[in-house]
Amino acid sequence: MERAQHGDVDAYGELVRRYQGIATRTAYVITGTSADAEDAAQDAFAKAYFALDRFRSGAPFRPWLLRIVANEAINRRKAAGRRATVDLSVAEGRPSGDTALSPEAAALAGEQREMLLRALRQLRDEDRLVIAYRYFFDLSEAEMAEALRVARGTVKSRLSRALARLRTVAAGEVRLDG
Amino acid sequence: MASRMDDRTIELALTDLGGRLAYPSVDLWPAVRERIVAGRQPWWRSLIGGLRLPAPVMPIVATLVVILLVVLAVSPEARAKAAELLGLRGVQIIKVPETPTPTPSPTGTPLVPGGRVTLEEARAQAGFTVRVPAALGDPDEVTLEPVAGGARVTLVYRDRPDIPPSSQPGISALVVELGGRLDQNVMGKGIGPGTTLEQLTVNGGLGFWIAGQPHQVFYLDQRGQFQQETLRLAGNTLLWEQDGVTYRIEAQITKDAALRVAASFR
Repeated sequence: MERAQHGDVDAYGELVRRYQGIATRTAYVITGTSADAEDAAQDAFAKAYFALDRFRSGAPFRPWLLRIVANEAINRRKAAGRRATVDLSVAEGRPSGDTALSPEAAALAGEQREMLLRALRQLRDEDRLVIAYRYFFDLSEAEMAEALRVARGTVKSRLSRALARLRTVAAGEVRLDG
Repeated sequence: MASRMDDRTIELALTDLGGRLAYPSVDLWPAVRERIVAGRQPWWRSLIGGLRLPAPVMPIVATLVVILLVVLAVSPEARAKAAELLGLRGVQIIKVPETPTPTPSPTGTPLVPGGRVTLEEARAQAGFTVRVPAALGDPDEVTLEPVAGGARVTLVYRDRPDIPPSSQPGISALVVELGGRLDQNVMGKGIGPGTTLEQLTVNGGLGFWIAGQPHQVFYLDQRGQFQQETLRLAGNTLLWEQDGVTYRIEAQITKDAALRVAASFR
């Protein structure tokens, strides 16, 4: 971090490689498409480099970076227009992890996943982001507060509102599906 | 499935889902590196680095700064006005050679910026505790200058029998005081080869002894933002933090002598 702040490009390379996983995943949760996610993360890393002098040394780098990433991704979505679909999907051919379940339970779990995924796609970008930080990437409350630029107390209420909306959308889904 | 999922179930299902998404996985570094190298900041960015202005305005401001630098190099009266005119954050006034080159030389011939004030005025206006080293006696000149997030007070010591003259004619030592803290993580930044940095405790606070030809140091201003400081005398520097203020002595003296001076700050 320190070396990167001093303009050492290769030291910054180490930072990029360390955080590109979570950066791209965060962008993907917002954009819902791989190509946009990669572009947004790439833009964010380039911007972060030139903003390193504004980064407070000693402050955690990850949430600071995620803030830039999320911003880039949300802007990209806005530029694409309201109607742009969020394709967000589950990786094919990934071991299901449901092998311990009975065939019925596994089918149920699969169905539940699909339902959640459909609901997530319809959520606001900000709601998807807060859910992803907590449940997908397991960020601490402090990190979430930093990444979302809100007070720690606000993190919980944001999360519970996002979950409530997810639940509402999911309930609608269930009814629609019959 | 139509049954409502309870909180715990939804949380578990989300955690499970998070591990299964079709996230892209590519190495971004080659593309990012290319962009960084292509997008290296142009010269005018570093000249007015502390300013946050819309991009199209930056070259214009930079040009004005260069013109101002040339004017300052020529006119002593204009120089006196410098601090007022340039309430510009982060801009260091560096006296440039006759040719209007925007690049300050590393050792340069820096002048003492700021408006001349009395010690009492400095104490009243600085916004922090201005201290004076008893070991050096009263300063020959005191200047006060607004800087990002506060003020900079500079004490100028002309001839002192026990301190060799500096590269700056007529100045033996400078004491610079700024509201702000030091940060050991960035202290090494701006310190070139042939210069050594040693961390110390000075008057109970974090301190550094920089020997050789230091050029720049960084500190955190009172708003917690990094600011860059150009050292004015191409000599040795002792700087430390005391009660939220960064003090520094620039002079061609040994570490022990500098520490003795520091201990005499009242």
